[in-house]
Amino acid sequence: MSASIPRAARAQRGVVLFTLLALGCTITLLLPVAWMATMMVKPEAEMFARPTVWLFEPTLAHFEYVLEAGFLSSLATSLVVAGASTALVVLIGTPAAYAFARFEMWRRDDMFLFILATRMAPPVALVIPLYLIYAKVGLLDTHLGLILAYLTFNLSFYVWVLRSFCRDVPVELEEAALIEGYPRWQVLLKITLPMLRPGIVSSAVLSFIFAWNEFLYAFMLGGRTVKTLPVAIPTLITAQGVKWGEVAIVGISALLPVLLVVFTLQRYIVRGLTLGAVKG
Amino acid sequence: MASILNSESLARDARTTPSRRRTKGSHFGYLLIAPTMITLVVVGLVPFLYAIYISLHDVPYGRVGEFTGLSNYRALLWDGRFWHSVWVALVFVGIAVPIEFVLGMLGALVLNQKIKLRGVIVPMLFVPTMMAPIVVALLWKIMLAGSWGLISYNVLERLKIVSETSVFGSADLALYALILIDVWQWTPFMIIAFYAGLQALPLNPYRAAQVDGASPLQMFVRITLPLMMPLMAVMVLLRIIDAFKVFDTIFLLTGGGPGNATESPSMLGYKLVFEFWKLGEASAFAVIIWVLFFVFCNVFYQIAKNRLKAF
Repeated sequence: MSASIPRAARAQRGVVLFTLLALGCTITLLLPVAWMATMMVKPEAEMFARPTVWLFEPTLAHFEYVLEAGFLSSLATSLVVAGASTALVVLIGTPAAYAFARFEMWRRDDMFLFILATRMAPPVALVIPLYLIYAKVGLLDTHLGLILAYLTFNLSFYVWVLRSFCRDVPVELEEAALIEGYPRWQVLLKITLPMLRPGIVSSAVLSFIFAWNEFLYAFMLGGRTVKTLPVAIPTLITAQGVKWGEVAIVGISALLPVLLVVFTLQRYIVRGLTLGAVKG
Repeated sequence: MASILNSESLARDARTTPSRRRTKGSHFGYLLIAPTMITLVVVGLVPFLYAIYISLHDVPYGRVGEFTGLSNYRALLWDGRFWHSVWVALVFVGIAVPIEFVLGMLGALVLNQKIKLRGVIVPMLFVPTMMAPIVVALLWKIMLAGSWGLISYNVLERLKIVSETSVFGSADLALYALILIDVWQWTPFMIIAFYAGLQALPLNPYRAAQVDGASPLQMFVRITLPLMMPLMAVMVLLRIIDAFKVFDTIFLLTGGGPGNATESPSMLGYKLVFEFWKLGEASAFAVIIWVLFFVFCNVFYQIAKNRLKAF
């Protein structure tokens, strides 16, 4: 009894120590983000002060500018482009992911490698020919052009990750239903799809986030009328200087919805981001 | 020696997934993959083939001119600028990825101890990873701006690393600042992934090792590392590929400068189109990069799938 008390105390000290270490590092890591958040309400003059001004009278001036500068239309563009491309990805990609997980097919591994390659290809290598093609067929600066371009990395990503989820759905259930005489497509709709829901939702969410955060395609293929948030933010860098308060507001508000979804789906998100290498 | 073999076979056991029976010879499968394959051929393969076509021609003012064979490739490969951009990417990847890997593993091990508040810490770690890279770039501009940047003024100037200028204006330091940003953004994700991997490890090998009186270090080297191998390999390869493609932060913070000190391949590709308007060379560039990545992907796939059974 007497020997076990010091050991328990030592273990307790270990818990406190490691907790403080982990918490301390995490908070330090997020200090830049917190600092950026304070700039949302920091008066312009005090942002550039030397020495650094830590305490200040908050102002709402930056919010007014953001509302006037047409960021709401960029927000709408971002939602349309990311939303439509994600919807397409789910529609086209879900059956493919299932088929890759279940069926023996001619050169399946090669086809799958092709999918991985489109996911991995550097955007700059794709965007150059796409730009030239778009210029010819009139897809530059259109919603459709961007939505199609996002299919390159998102469709391949979605199929790759969802396949790993599909492999977790027990084949036995489907086989039982087939023996009962249900047609294949009904088995797929009524049995497999409901069990795949977490996989579909989290892979779709990640596709949405990738499209939401994407800059290079949006910048090169979009432009004046189709301007997503990541492209609109750098326009706050003006000849007169950078509107930092506004940058902070748009940057932080673009991040918030993403975080909200990610927190609720944590486990599945990790699996998606590691391309299925971690099973949640 | 025997115990090493033993832990390896344990690792293999843990990795084999439950039996997967596949349905044979069905047209249903082809029907299901057809839309995806057609889409990817149209948005992926067609541009690639078009890039090959363009790269073999002279392209004055955006119009495809006469066939010039491999001269675009020659112009690109004989130009030191291309190789310099590859070098920049190699330095970037070679420094950033090992740091992210080691810090990620250490962080995951700390997180895997008995600690409190894990429910607060893990979600916070998602924040940098989920930020749009363009916002990350601006965030670090706020940190490292000349004269008023939070870190510039309060840390770098005190340490006499810069004086009222930005690190992004220094040919020696700019690349390291960009590496720091990459480390900041991706280390937390490495931590989360490795932590998830640690959590998924089977307990039995550890119990057996404890009975045999193994030390924590022995357990880490002989059980944890072999079992984590597939995940570690996938994460490192993924990061290498993604870090090689870095564009947003460079575009916004240095534009490839000063001079071309931070000009990564993506940055060079962008400039070939929009600054130099050399579309033929840009297409040749795209083809070379693409072939390079395809080879890399193939190796990645073979290793991850056949040797490590990671997917």
